[in-house]
Amino acid sequence: MSPSNSEDDRLPCGVGVDTLLTQVAEHAPPRDPAHQRSCPHCRAALAELADLWAPVTKLAAEDVRAPAGLLQEVMAQIRELSRNAWHAVLTDPTGQTRIAARVVGAVARLAAESVPHVSVAFGGGRPETRAGQSPSLTEIAGAAGEPATDVGVAGCHVIIDVQIAVDYGVPIAHVAQAVRSRIVEHLVAHTGLITREVNVIVIDVLPSLR
Amino acid sequence: MTQDAEPIAGRTDPMEERWVSLAREGNEDAFASLVRAHQDRLYHVALRLVGHPADAQDAVQESLLQVWQHLDGFRGEAQFSTWVMRILINRCHNVLRARKLTVPLPDDIGSAEGLPQAPSAEDLAVRAQRRDAVRAAVLSLPFDQRAPLVLTVFGGYTHAETGRILGISETAAKVRAHRGRKTLLARLQEWR
Repeated sequence: MSPSNSEDDRLPCGVGVDTLLTQVAEHAPPRDPAHQRSCPHCRAALAELADLWAPVTKLAAEDVRAPAGLLQEVMAQIRELSRNAWHAVLTDPTGQTRIAARVVGAVARLAAESVPHVSVAFGGGRPETRAGQSPSLTEIAGAAGEPATDVGVAGCHVIIDVQIAVDYGVPIAHVAQAVRSRIVEHLVAHTGLITREVNVIVIDVLPSLR
Repeated sequence: MTQDAEPIAGRTDPMEERWVSLAREGNEDAFASLVRAHQDRLYHVALRLVGHPADAQDAVQESLLQVWQHLDGFRGEAQFSTWVMRILINRCHNVLRARKLTVPLPDDIGSAEGLPQAPSAEDLAVRAQRRDAVRAAVLSLPFDQRAPLVLTVFGGYTHAETGRILGISETAAKVRAHRGRKTLLARLQEWR
């Protein structure tokens, strides 16, 4: 008897090995208790499978607990995140530099606009936050009432979603790649932040004026 | 298995619902309660999926941070525990992909690579080796078998719950878990 055999692997009595394996592994009741009590093939196979599966059951029964510091670590990170949710943070031995997400958004927008054939790049930034509310990254980074650049910041890492319009006739994929590269270059040059991801959304094509 | 009890399918724990609601409003104490309630089971599953305690802890911590950041998007269509576990499974999958450890099982099942050598004469050593062999055998399973097997055998989830976590049908979860069991058993058999 080999549990690794094909799914229709059957004992001489006709009972499938899979059925017995399920019975052992799931502690399920036998399908035919009377047969199983009297059948030497089934009993032998069950004994073999139970012996093979026993260390799995033992391992599953181990009392595994999360490490003692996990909860504290998670909560510390969450508190840190809450403090800095709308700032990127550069840490230096002499102090911290916090860069607001809207600044990151503005740099990204200007970088995108500096790419030839990118005529429009939305996302001008909104400096004000409603009193008593956590600022929404979308609102911070977006133009007034028109969120078009999303900025995610955590520590010194940044993720940018930028919406652009390109001149008609240019290869859009190439332009998008150029926007991506330009944003990464400008952000590291002007802010020192590491851009993990730049997602370019091309929302329009415009007649070329150049 | 130790782990906190999974609420009965379709039924939500009112206390947990309250914690989720408060946490969504930014209440850190409520979120801490959620973490406390689920961390053991999450860690157990992560440990059996990725193998290393430090990696498992990282995966759980990162998943919980992701949960905190995306609580706004949790609308309660799934149970909170299902949603969190799904995030953890994805995180573990990414960890394994990054480690390039998701090597499919070789067709030649005669190979015992990665499993401990023949057991020693000492009973305790034998037991320890068998435990290590099971751990190694679980880690050698391809992820599509390992995840349902770990969720059902080590996480204590039903096939229906496993299906919901993995985004597959109950039947598919059952089939994959069973394939995982068979592969695992074959590995253990060849070790013996």
